[in-house]
Amino acid sequence: MDPVYDTRDCFRALVAAMSRPGTVSESPTEPADHAVLSTLVDHEVTCFTPDETVWSALETEGRLSEADVAAASIVHAPDPSECPVRDLERGSLKEPSDGATVVYRVETLITDPDPTDDVTRLALSGPGVPGKRWLGVDGFSRDNARALADAQSSYPCGVDAVLTTDRSIAAIPRSTELEVA
Amino acid sequence: MTDKCGVAAVAEAESVDDLLDSVTDDGLTGYNYAYLDEHTKREVRRATLSAIALPGHQVPFASREMPLARGWGTGGIQTSLSLLGPDDTFKVIDQGSDESVNAANIRRLAARTANVETTTDATEASVIQTRHRIPEEVLDDDQILVLQVPITDPLRRVDGSDDANRRRHAHSNYSKMWVALYENVVEYGEIKLSSRYPVLVGDRYLMDPSPIPRWDVPKLDDADNLFLFAAGREARIYAVPPHTEVEPLAFEDRQFQVERFPEHACGNCGSEDTFLTEVETDDGGRVYACNDASFCEKRRADPSLSKAHHRNGDGHTWGPPTDPSVPYESDGDSGENRGPAGPNRGGDE
Repeated sequence: MDPVYDTRDCFRALVAAMSRPGTVSESPTEPADHAVLSTLVDHEVTCFTPDETVWSALETEGRLSEADVAAASIVHAPDPSECPVRDLERGSLKEPSDGATVVYRVETLITDPDPTDDVTRLALSGPGVPGKRWLGVDGFSRDNARALADAQSSYPCGVDAVLTTDRSIAAIPRSTELEVA
Repeated sequence: MTDKCGVAAVAEAESVDDLLDSVTDDGLTGYNYAYLDEHTKREVRRATLSAIALPGHQVPFASREMPLARGWGTGGIQTSLSLLGPDDTFKVIDQGSDESVNAANIRRLAARTANVETTTDATEASVIQTRHRIPEEVLDDDQILVLQVPITDPLRRVDGSDDANRRRHAHSNYSKMWVALYENVVEYGEIKLSSRYPVLVGDRYLMDPSPIPRWDVPKLDDADNLFLFAAGREARIYAVPPHTEVEPLAFEDRQFQVERFPEHACGNCGSEDTFLTEVETDDGGRVYACNDASFCEKRRADPSLSKAHHRNGDGHTWGPPTDPSVPYESDGDSGENRGPAGPNRGGDE
């Protein structure tokens, strides 16, 4: 991953995903969760990752400031079921931006999924969404989605979520109204 | 000559032209792509994403020293340079003009260090940095508008304490602003704020839309594009994502009003549906002219050009149409809600 151009491309993909929840953007490199972490993490923020590759890559560059999963600003969740998203830092009313960003690794992301698809279907509305948008996620169970919805239920406090596959990025910021179908 | 700017080189050179000839690179050696180092970009980028996730909330970030004084667009520059890549086309506007010194310099900085295309055409640009105006032409969903912000907190009008104001934002307690607006109505018969009109974003956060005229405020509501607001001096970034509800504060019987210029069309292009500013001519006369210079130029070539001409006539409304049939009342003392203030007649500032 190029530290200048690829991180910029990844950031623009994140901007597009975050400002239009439910849309899918393309990551410049694979896997997308690594690209996102490499774009956002340095020693100025705390990070939790169970992924050895990411851990050692950040540690080698002196960019990793580790924290417990419940205290970290950026949380890596290669297995969404393992991530206790309800317990993550949600920030305070005075400074809600202290809330964590969780980077999930999922199987596939589908825009406008068919109701017959065997995926978790999420209905998103709120800022960035004209009306309602549907996002289908494989590798992210309904329970995972409900836990995320709980973690985002105390707006403006809450957790921002980035969903990544090998090559694609979607986001569910805390301002989004998330319904699990 | 290896030592490009060294004493030896200066001593050898016979003239300034010789010195300039001897400079073989473009002076960018040692600078990172897009001027900022990656550490700074990460900081700005994290704050930007946070801001998008919390529409209207002012997110603090570590604003860096820039090669110009704080308050001259340093926040906007940091935000733009963090966004820009070689595939971008960049436009910079300063109060509607592409050609002011500040705009030209910021554009040149980006062109040199980030290797971006630059343009003055609002429909061609992928990233637009602006001060005090939103372009007249409708922005698309693949465009990002970066606004330079001098004062981030709308509540500072009513209380100088940032700490108290952050507490008010935490609890959505905006009563003090409502009282200030009411006092405005009592004094002037209407809400007279010439710029920085307070808006409620996503029904949660009161936001200062930066010193854009009231004319531009309705453009923030349910737009197709992303708006980023950046203040380098105050070290805050905030955002209005696309399709977000942005409502100017107003009362049921004293509504939000934009500036209107029913008796004036632009002296250059004849437009009656654009934001006009009063310009003094060389012989001391006064004319009204479009504030958005690049759109004015297009209108001069084609007076029938619509503000959404590049969108296949989708009829998207963007900003207020000026309705010449609405009577202009310079004083709003009657019981009816009317009497828009002129652009320079605000009760504030």
